[in-house]
Amino acid sequence: MKASLLDYLLRTRLPVTIFVVAASFIITFFASRAERDGVGYTPDQPINYSHKLHAGEMQIDCQYCHVAVEKSRHAMVPAIATCMNCHKIAKKDSPEIIKLAEYYNSGKTLMWKRVHKVPDYAYFNHSVHVNKGIECESCHGEIKQMEKVGQMNSFTMRNCLSCHRNSHERLPYIKDVKRGPEDCYTCHR
Amino acid sequence: MSDPKDEVQNQDPNYWRSFEELYSDPKFLKEINNEFKDGADEAPDTSKMSSLSRRKFFALLGASAAVAGAACSDYQDRGEIVPYKDKPEEITIGKANYYASTCGGCSSACGILIKTREGRPIKVDGNPDHPVSRGKICSQGQAATMSLYDPERLKTPRQKIKNRFEDINWQQADSEIIEALSNIGGKEIAIITNQIISPTENRVLKDFVDKYTATRIYSFEQFNESVRNIAWQKCYNSDEFPIIKWDEAEVVVSLDSDFLGADYNRVENTRLFSEGKDVINKNFNRLYSVESDLSLTGMNADYRLMLRADAQYAFVMGIINELQSKNVINNTVNASSFNLSKLAADFGLSEKILNYLINDLTNKKGKAIVYAGNHLPEKVHIAVNLLNEELGNSNLYNTKQSRITVRKLSSLNDIKKLADKMNSGNVGMVIHYGSNPVYNFPADINYADAIQNVDKVITLAETENESANVSNYVLPINNTFEAWGDAKTRTGFYSMQQPVIAPLYSTRQKESIILSWINGNSDSNKENLYHKYLMSNWENEIYPTLNSRIEFKKFWFGALHDGVVRSNDTSTGNGSFNYAALSGLTNHQNKMKGMTVHIKESYSLRDGRFANNGWLQESPHPVSKVTWDNYAAISTTTAKKINVKKDDIIEIKVNDRLLTIPVFVQPGHADDSITIETGYGRTNSGSVSEGAGFNANTIFSSSGGITPWLYEGVTVKKLTGTYRLVVAQTIYDFTEEDKKDIPEKRGIIKEGTVEQYLNDPHFLNDKKHKDLKSVNPPIPYDGLKWGMSIDLNKCLGCSECFVACNVENNIPVVGKEEVDKGREMHWLRIDRYYSGTAEDPKVSVQPMLCQHCDQAPCETVCPVLATTHSADGLNQMVYNRCVGVRYCSNNCPYKVRRFNFFNFRDSFNDSYQESPVFALLHNPEVTVRSRGVMEKCTFCIQRIAEARSDATRESRKMIGEDVHTACQDACVTNAIHFGDINDENGELYKYRNHELGYHVLEELNTKPNVTYIAKLRNTHSEEA
Repeated sequence: MKASLLDYLLRTRLPVTIFVVAASFIITFFASRAERDGVGYTPDQPINYSHKLHAGEMQIDCQYCHVAVEKSRHAMVPAIATCMNCHKIAKKDSPEIIKLAEYYNSGKTLMWKRVHKVPDYAYFNHSVHVNKGIECESCHGEIKQMEKVGQMNSFTMRNCLSCHRNSHERLPYIKDVKRGPEDCYTCHR
Repeated sequence: MSDPKDEVQNQDPNYWRSFEELYSDPKFLKEINNEFKDGADEAPDTSKMSSLSRRKFFALLGASAAVAGAACSDYQDRGEIVPYKDKPEEITIGKANYYASTCGGCSSACGILIKTREGRPIKVDGNPDHPVSRGKICSQGQAATMSLYDPERLKTPRQKIKNRFEDINWQQADSEIIEALSNIGGKEIAIITNQIISPTENRVLKDFVDKYTATRIYSFEQFNESVRNIAWQKCYNSDEFPIIKWDEAEVVVSLDSDFLGADYNRVENTRLFSEGKDVINKNFNRLYSVESDLSLTGMNADYRLMLRADAQYAFVMGIINELQSKNVINNTVNASSFNLSKLAADFGLSEKILNYLINDLTNKKGKAIVYAGNHLPEKVHIAVNLLNEELGNSNLYNTKQSRITVRKLSSLNDIKKLADKMNSGNVGMVIHYGSNPVYNFPADINYADAIQNVDKVITLAETENESANVSNYVLPINNTFEAWGDAKTRTGFYSMQQPVIAPLYSTRQKESIILSWINGNSDSNKENLYHKYLMSNWENEIYPTLNSRIEFKKFWFGALHDGVVRSNDTSTGNGSFNYAALSGLTNHQNKMKGMTVHIKESYSLRDGRFANNGWLQESPHPVSKVTWDNYAAISTTTAKKINVKKDDIIEIKVNDRLLTIPVFVQPGHADDSITIETGYGRTNSGSVSEGAGFNANTIFSSSGGITPWLYEGVTVKKLTGTYRLVVAQTIYDFTEEDKKDIPEKRGIIKEGTVEQYLNDPHFLNDKKHKDLKSVNPPIPYDGLKWGMSIDLNKCLGCSECFVACNVENNIPVVGKEEVDKGREMHWLRIDRYYSGTAEDPKVSVQPMLCQHCDQAPCETVCPVLATTHSADGLNQMVYNRCVGVRYCSNNCPYKVRRFNFFNFRDSFNDSYQESPVFALLHNPEVTVRSRGVMEKCTFCIQRIAEARSDATRESRKMIGEDVHTACQDACVTNAIHFGDINDENGELYKYRNHELGYHVLEELNTKPNVTYIAKLRNTHSEEA
């Protein structure tokens, strides 16, 4: 029996098309996972502030600037006045500091680009995690090596839960670490 | 002797909530078989909706631009973070600050504690250190933040030019007004204000009078205690009015008074009264209420008698006569023509209850208090004072503290004279100093017409109102959260008021406007003008009298921190009773004329000043559960007599004054009496309040009534047509079948009497449901597990908890039409059940909220696991998972789940609640829910989370007492307890395991975590 056009379409063309579409979707889906989760997102900031210099080389404590991290849900981006504590004197003539001083003196709004974002239906609490002894680097990556801050881990529910469920493996440096709570209300309310 | 009314009381109560339910209306029976009301899940009728509004058009325009923009932008962009330039030291982002202040809502001047987040007030509670409020505040105080962020607040000064208001600047307004003040030319300048409670503000006004000597000040409150106070002055020759020690009273006799509901000082009254109902120490007071309407007070009475208000004099004189004839009290007044038995026969009062009342007054001498309503005439109050004095009950007057006034209220006579002067052209300027006389003044003085004869009318107001509309200048003033102040309402202390947010608009504090007019210089206004004045007044006048050893600056900051300053002025105590006052007590019984009308202050809107507050408009009336409207409440018998039913429109004629208003047939209302709440029917007052209810002030007059609030000889005519009154609580009604077995089998309401309880503490215990088996394996909850108890003995059904819940949990206002469809979003509702007959029902109330069942029926039916159970016993609702199938609501036996049929913030009143300023109102710790998701009480999970993070920071274990829910904090009577049900030392444990504790619908084996303590009525059960 002679193969009809319909046979060709159904037996060959259709499966091949479906396969190609599905395969490319699956490959793109997994390959772009990190990209979609925002891992690697490193935006340009209005002032080229270096965490590597301040936190890494000069070993300024994280909490000198992020003052609320032990007390509140938010770590808090420091007030410009905090920068000016030193930079009224230090490195006054560097071009970035001139920019900073201008923000401070003119009262112009300084718009830092946001790097990390937890969706607004999740209520992440910095203070609980920090007070349990979890280090900033466990979520934010090697901040002390970063010239420009980027996102190192994905901030998805899967990633939160992987640590809450396997805290022993993920946080070996805390003695007697307990599993994190997994109730919905822990994060969603 | 068998009294038919008592027989009803002893029957098993047949609980019902509406007449349709009681009489099993067939249409109604059909409706209640549906889960949602007819129309609840229908799409809106777009043809009836207003066409695309300007605001929505721009929103749409903006949204399309945003979509277009987003398509071209970086999809990973997460916006910006803007740091402070200089961070205020006290602010930590994400942590609340609390400031003590004084509520400016009414003249009670309660101390408040304002919660602010990042500088914006979001929640108000009582100041625990304040001697009056003791950590509690009324629902108007709770809802005050919505008035602060009302997008319809006045934003700039306005001047009326050719009948149109135009925006002007302050400098222009000030200079023109100062010029007018200086050239007043012998005419009077009238300042009309609400009651002045601030000594410093009073000084400002005095300064103004010194500068502009033609000034006269009129202070006016539509609802006040002037009649009571005049009677007190006559009896005791004192201007210091007593505070009653309700907590020490074993018997309270309320004569048409609503001291637990609408009256002045209700926060303190309810707090003290409820201390006398204590199931832990087995201590119970007894409340008799003799009243014409069914009030919040009457609803909570152990014995209730219905009596029209104009017969109260006969009633109290009858009691005096009876007690005199039994030689319980001296024969100081001749009351021989008042016979209690005859009165009982005339008005159908139960003689048995009257006997109990007489016996209680006789046996509890010195521990019983008789209290008459503010609207009753002077002679009733004098007779009541006499009764209390003769029975030795005057020792229940608190002599350590007494009420004082900074400035006396003007009499209605003064107000009348003012109108006459206006009409004769002798008034050159009227300043409405935060008051709204066009709405609130008695109708018979025709103030709106009189004001036409005044050259310049200036209104100082927060929002538009009737008086602003007839003014030449409208000057916007600061909200109470933006204002400085002090208050003195009692001996012994001062209350302090401080601003917690900078003025949102170009508004000014009303005192500082007056101060710059006193300065006579339009440039003299600085932001701190009144602040400085207040401080210097304290430094020079008040501080020296306090004999404080702390230097002033420190003292001042301490005073602001505490919100209250103790002073050493003491009450002079009670004088001796002046028997000459009794000459006003006639021994002559008046004939009752026609019907009576009682004009009452609204439970939620007060005298109308809170009318533009959506939370308050939507809070149901505590008794009738009607929202968004007022009505004429009448009894079933009267309704039959004039042939009307609910929603029919009637015309009420009071001394030639007419009022058209719909009828609400109120079970338990006295016959031939009409009760109307006012505060509604506002015009030109903002889009929320306009069209809500009817203006009952059209029959409020300065003369012609028994008192301005009570009229007799009223006639009623039925008009054609109806007006839909929406009752919020008929969403989930009972069928005839349900009704029969509710008290016994279902156990929604369990009740008994104090005697039953004292004889057998376990009399309510029901072993039937103890051994119910479950198909689910038992889950051990051995750690911390959250639970709540609600003591129905203390719960009055007042709505404070429910407003607090709205504020805390970002509950939207949905509007009257949506409430009618059963779509209101309240997480907490207060169910009110009647039992007995429609003519004389008993009332039970029950706050109903998510019961957080251990075996929650909602959880098993959710197809997407959006509602699950937590390890600490909470029933969790996850909005971002919810797909809106509503199975959970269908399967919830308590009907506490609420569904967002719309984005109500958008659908109500042309996106009123989506105005940018409304975003400041929201609690940032609670998600603002959108369309299509289910929601319900979370046990204030945000507060639990905060307590947990605090405990972690302090490296300690969290205990149950760390968390207070919003309703618990708000409950004036402390009926609500929250905590860990496994903690044997916790306060909750006592209630959770109390003999009177029960769960609602126990037989369903849902194992709720909310325990109700059964209500005990302190009645005599000997005949049972």
